[in-house]
Amino acid sequence: MIEIDHVSKSYNKGAVRAVDDLILTVLPGEIFGFLGPNGAGKTTTIKMIVGILKPDSGTIRIAGLDNRTEALRCKTMTAYVPDEPEIYERLKGIEYLNFMGDVYGVSGGERRSRIEHWLEAFELSRAVADPIQTYSHGMRQKIILTAALMVKPRVLVLDEPMVGLDPRSSHLLKEAMREHCDGGGTLFFSTHIMEVAERLCDRLGIIHKGRLAAYGTMAELRDQAKDKASLENIFLELTES
Amino acid sequence: MSPTAALVKAALNSNFGWSVVRHRLFVQKRDRWMVPLIALAVVGVVPTLVLYVRLLGAVFDMLKSLGQEKALLTLAVLAGQLTILVFGLFYLIATFYFSRDLEYLVALPLKPSQIMLSKFAVVLINEYLTMAPFILPALIVYGFKKDGGLEYWLIMPLAYILLPVIPLAAAGLVVVGMMRLVNIGKKKDLLIIIGSLVLIAAALFLQFGLSRAAGTSGLDTQKIIAMIASPDGLVQSIGHRFPPAIWATRFLHDGLITASGLSAFALFAGLSILLFGGLMAGAQRLFFGGLVGLSERSGVRVRGGKTLPIKFSSGRHPVKAIFLREVRLMNRTPIFLLNGVLGVLMVPVILALTLSTGKPGDDSADILRLMTSAKPVTGVLVTTMFMIVCATLSGVASSSFSREGRKFWVSKVIPVDYRQQVLAKFLHSMAIALLGIGGATAVLVFRFRLAAGQWLPSLALALPVTAILTFLNLAVDLARPLLDWISPQKAMKQNLNVLIAMLLDLGFLFLYGFAFVALGKSGLGLAAVLGILAAIGLGLACLAYTLVLQFALQRYPSIEA
Repeated sequence: MIEIDHVSKSYNKGAVRAVDDLILTVLPGEIFGFLGPNGAGKTTTIKMIVGILKPDSGTIRIAGLDNRTEALRCKTMTAYVPDEPEIYERLKGIEYLNFMGDVYGVSGGERRSRIEHWLEAFELSRAVADPIQTYSHGMRQKIILTAALMVKPRVLVLDEPMVGLDPRSSHLLKEAMREHCDGGGTLFFSTHIMEVAERLCDRLGIIHKGRLAAYGTMAELRDQAKDKASLENIFLELTES
Repeated sequence: MSPTAALVKAALNSNFGWSVVRHRLFVQKRDRWMVPLIALAVVGVVPTLVLYVRLLGAVFDMLKSLGQEKALLTLAVLAGQLTILVFGLFYLIATFYFSRDLEYLVALPLKPSQIMLSKFAVVLINEYLTMAPFILPALIVYGFKKDGGLEYWLIMPLAYILLPVIPLAAAGLVVVGMMRLVNIGKKKDLLIIIGSLVLIAAALFLQFGLSRAAGTSGLDTQKIIAMIASPDGLVQSIGHRFPPAIWATRFLHDGLITASGLSAFALFAGLSILLFGGLMAGAQRLFFGGLVGLSERSGVRVRGGKTLPIKFSSGRHPVKAIFLREVRLMNRTPIFLLNGVLGVLMVPVILALTLSTGKPGDDSADILRLMTSAKPVTGVLVTTMFMIVCATLSGVASSSFSREGRKFWVSKVIPVDYRQQVLAKFLHSMAIALLGIGGATAVLVFRFRLAAGQWLPSLALALPVTAILTFLNLAVDLARPLLDWISPQKAMKQNLNVLIAMLLDLGFLFLYGFAFVALGKSGLGLAAVLGILAAIGLGLACLAYTLVLQFALQRYPSIEA
């Protein structure tokens, strides 16, 4: 579903190589966890998948479509949640959701039922008519998640989605992620929470200094590592400078 | 380094972005193409500057023949200080209360006056830069023409440094007081806008009051002779309602060694220090009150289980959805609203007031009516230009992408064709431009009493040209959007794109005016001239539409949000 083929991206005219010849594939129905230390290239990779950044070389395909030449079709089937909940503060929560519904072409009836469901789940129903500038960090995160889940995309791309969420919302999100993939959807997400990655992901990738240091199921990662105790140990071993 | 000095240094660095520029130019090696462009823009300004200096020289010579050359200094100081007083208000409100770094600064162990000082320094340095092309030539021309000697050249920079302090500190005091008062209740944004409008109205009233006082229209011959006979006559006449201009003139002219010069300097510097001190003291007491009010939640969240009715839309077209987003974001951000929408509405009013002397028979309304009946082509040209200027010089289109700031990622990920996104932004910018055209038309109809036959052709010509310039301005901002701003003011008024677009607009209008005059002189009838111009306008608008939408397809993917 997501194919990243020899993708590289550098900053400062090549001085900083953020992503270096990355190759990986995420299959339909799979939750893929993307791990790595700060500055390893996780967010850069994610931003390239959703079309915010342009790779220097290589190709990214969503459902077999090149995300640069077939950008619009790729975007129609992808929803993205950034690591920083930077959204239009001067809009009300419901206005933001309606805006996303309009641009993704979500019909009136589906929009209503999905929004009501997620607002209720995230306990945002009472705040949704307020301007987003009055929201806390977690509430902003939840409204962006609500928009992404309302769209019901084939591919969900989430950059550290648990940050700022309360335990209940975090639990609900994990359930939603699983449900999304059980329904045939694909989910690519980055996280620093090893326990979540270990329990939730079908496969994992660990990126270090722009290169893929490890890639596979939890069992495959264990096979590659000396210290097989936990994902945390594997992570620490692979990302030692 | 003391906390105050560190804070001021950080504020200046973050505002003027020298670190960012250095990083982009020398580390990232981006934006290097801007260097020759800026050099070209500077070179382009030189002829205008030479013309301005010559004009100042001529004014000096004329005043000297009357023995009133000092009045040039008074005029320069008065013009500079009043401009700062009026336009500084927007800037002060934005910098003092709408910078995004304020919530971090408030949490640091800093006094309100220290934070205020750092913000004031940013505004002050900006004013020095803004005033430089207008005021410095006047002071320099005076120095050379008067052969002021070493003392003048030593005092002149000091005068320039002190010049903005009085109006800025005075405006700052009013702003701090106003923000403290209005930051109560739920409708803070509305109150801020109303408060700002009241301040602007007061400042405009003051400016027109003073400019009228500076004029000689109300004087009879005897008074004029008496005024010219006194060496300080014109200086006193110009500056009598704003004494700091007289003080500055006196110490610049007399020097600091004379008693009159020294006393004038003491008064000027004393008032500057007094107002600045007052502002710092006011900040200590009122600044946080206003600031905290701003960050308080103004929502109407209902507690206790009752849920507000939610309005679900049912599938708007993406262009309509983006247009609506643009309208909401502009109208609900006070700085955007004040600079964009209200700016557009104010321009015709200010121009109408500026063109009016208030004396019957000597009114520009009569001159315009006379012009349109005697030379219809020139009349239509003037009214068309008036409409276009009122519509396009707001910076709404040329900041359209920049205003999205860090939220630009949304525009990158939504499944909406980039051409549709640009079209929605065009429609929004055009809607605001139409407000400007509407305001200009209202001024032409109600203030200048032009008949429909006179203003309708202008309207027909102004609409396509406004569309062309709106596309042009959108293209400028699309080429290099400023997305990493911390104060909304930076996205609009301090955005270089707005200036670049304005220069390009003026260049286009110059060529359009040239074509207008050339066609007028060609011997063709008025209807034919207007028909040709309308056809050219429509053709160019269609071309601009096609080119900008194609440019969007190329440019959008490269913008890295």
